[in-house]
Amino acid sequence: MTLHLVHLYPDEMNTYGDRGNRLTLLQRARWRGLDPVVHFVGIGDDLPDETDLVLGGGGQDSAQADIQADVLRKGDRLHQLVRDGVPMLMVCGTYQLLGRRFRTHEGEEIAGIGVFDVETIGGDRRLIGNAAVQTEAFGTLYGFENHSGRTRLGADQQPLGKVLRGNGNNGEDGTEGARTGNAIGTYLHGPLLPANPVLADALLSLALARRGEPAQLEPIDEPLVERSRAEAASRVY
Amino acid sequence: MRRLLGTLTGKAVAAAVRLRGRSAGQAMPGRVVERLVPGYLAAVLGQLPRGVVMVTGTNGKTTTTKMVVEVLRANGLRVLTNATGSNMTRGIISSVSQQAHLTGRLPFDIAVFELDEAYAPQVAAAAPPTWVLALNASRDQLDRFGEVDTVARLITSAMRAAGTGVVVNGDDPRLSSGAPTTGVQVERFGVAPELLRYFPRDDELVRTGTGAATHMAPATVTGELEEAAPVPPAPGVELLAFDGDRARYRVGDQELDARLQVTGQHNFQNGAAALALVHALLPDVPVRTLVDQLADVRPAFGRGQVYTLPGGAHVQLNLVKNPASFRQGLASYVREGTTVVVAVNDLVADGRDLSWLWDVDFSPLAGREVAMTTGIRAVDMALRLRYDDVPVGRIEPDLEAAVAVIAGTPGETVVFSTYTAMLRLHTMLSASAVKGTVTAR
Ligand SMILES: [Zn+2]
Repeated sequence: MTLHLVHLYPDEMNTYGDRGNRLTLLQRARWRGLDPVVHFVGIGDDLPDETDLVLGGGGQDSAQADIQADVLRKGDRLHQLVRDGVPMLMVCGTYQLLGRRFRTHEGEEIAGIGVFDVETIGGDRRLIGNAAVQTEAFGTLYGFENHSGRTRLGADQQPLGKVLRGNGNNGEDGTEGARTGNAIGTYLHGPLLPANPVLADALLSLALARRGEPAQLEPIDEPLVERSRAEAASRVY
Repeated sequence: MRRLLGTLTGKAVAAAVRLRGRSAGQAMPGRVVERLVPGYLAAVLGQLPRGVVMVTGTNGKTTTTKMVVEVLRANGLRVLTNATGSNMTRGIISSVSQQAHLTGRLPFDIAVFELDEAYAPQVAAAAPPTWVLALNASRDQLDRFGEVDTVARLITSAMRAAGTGVVVNGDDPRLSSGAPTTGVQVERFGVAPELLRYFPRDDELVRTGTGAATHMAPATVTGELEEAAPVPPAPGVELLAFDGDRARYRVGDQELDARLQVTGQHNFQNGAAALALVHALLPDVPVRTLVDQLADVRPAFGRGQVYTLPGGAHVQLNLVKNPASFRQGLASYVREGTTVVVAVNDLVADGRDLSWLWDVDFSPLAGREVAMTTGIRAVDMALRLRYDDVPVGRIEPDLEAAVAVIAGTPGETVVFSTYTAMLRLHTMLSASAVKGTVTAR
């Protein structure tokens, strides 16, 4: 069965290994006998009619301004997909732009589309290091954060999880990321999905369920992942 | 006075460090001199008749600096340079104070320094360079730099400090657009357009090679071909072709062939950079002579050096520090029958964030296996390879145990290694190598 993955802004938002998230979804889908197709959707491109899963990465701060107008243009369609329950993973820069707004360190205002009820303010110091996040739905997530933005959640916005190690959204309130329906925003690179296959499989399952397919994916025997996660658990910031 | 004082201080601290049984403390003398004798670097380097040349960029600094130094020396110049690994401000100060006479006199004609990108503006401000060579800006140690634009800004700022001229990579848009436009001589080096695919720029590292290409949406394929960048002026020095250890260069309107001691396509590109710089510094030396001298330069340690071990194993050690250098290494050194080992540490000098490994395309390894992954992040390296369908024979996080395995593997082994793992592997391999067989210093 064909699964349509959309990779948003692959040329602009790609700096921190987020390519690995795409590779992980592709391979884990193939290992289950699915036929994943990747659609690279950049500035000026439309999202395909058939969209099962959307990925976005982090990039240079300068790229943020470049893609802003295009994000606004795609806003209605992205909101529609979120309402339809299409799973999304938006990392770092794309997480910020799917929030309500982003104010750069220099005071420039960048409007977002508000899929997540969050606001981000650029800080003067980047928050960089190994991070761990406790989530209800996916267990502990391990990743590497690298961002200058400090993100605050609106009153009713659900976070992705609680910071166990690192700074998460802002280094102060102990929250990390945001979750709206099946859309997830997060600061975790690493990349996130190979280190946390439970999350990768959850995204795939949600995509399949929406297509009326059995959502239970056969487990994959992964001793390597167990070792990798045990090491990640003991890593320092 | 500053020269004398700084030199004496530097030498005294270095002696003290040695007395305490530490190995040549590279930063300590620099740190003390920086504190006690401000302005030392400018004062002491100011006496060099041919000034200071700085080489910086993400990849190729060490090899390119070695090329420039050795070609200048072959032409009779006395060249002051910094020790490998001492490429930050304090390391430069230490190197200079160790090599000066007690009086602070520097018995050299010219200095050629390899500079860490982050420190290039600082050193350039402390001791204004005559020439700056800007190699490339690529994703590297983003836990340290934050982003690639920052790296480019740092290098650009160093270029702006050059008093006489700049040599810049014409194929790197972030750098060539930042080169000064007036006041100094600007020389560009590059590779022929048909070779560009072997030298992906930072922004081209991401879309390729996940096996997804065949499924690419048609809209994207056309989008990818659009490249609105302005056509840059033709570079003065160009790598035209390469094959094995042979390279063909164009310098001005002359085409020249060379058989290089250094191997690897990235080093042929570094050769173009070095040629452009030495040609600018020595305009009266025939280009043929410069190319022949370049061809004699041997690899720097950890950059393609080969060690022959008593059991007959030939081990080649290659530093990989970012997607660009890893891709170049895979393309250059993996041949039929080569045993491949990958060593990955995540200490500060390696870069603590390993995200970049996911921007490396391991498809050149498709259909074969990586015999072993080693180093602190051996497990995560194996996991990375699994997602490119490359099986891993063995996971051995301990580097010493890994060297024992390598030593027992006859034939050619190539080891791709991050920085701190490379230093340790070099020490162990040098110690066990058959005397006189290590092919570079
Ligand atoms: Zn980030």
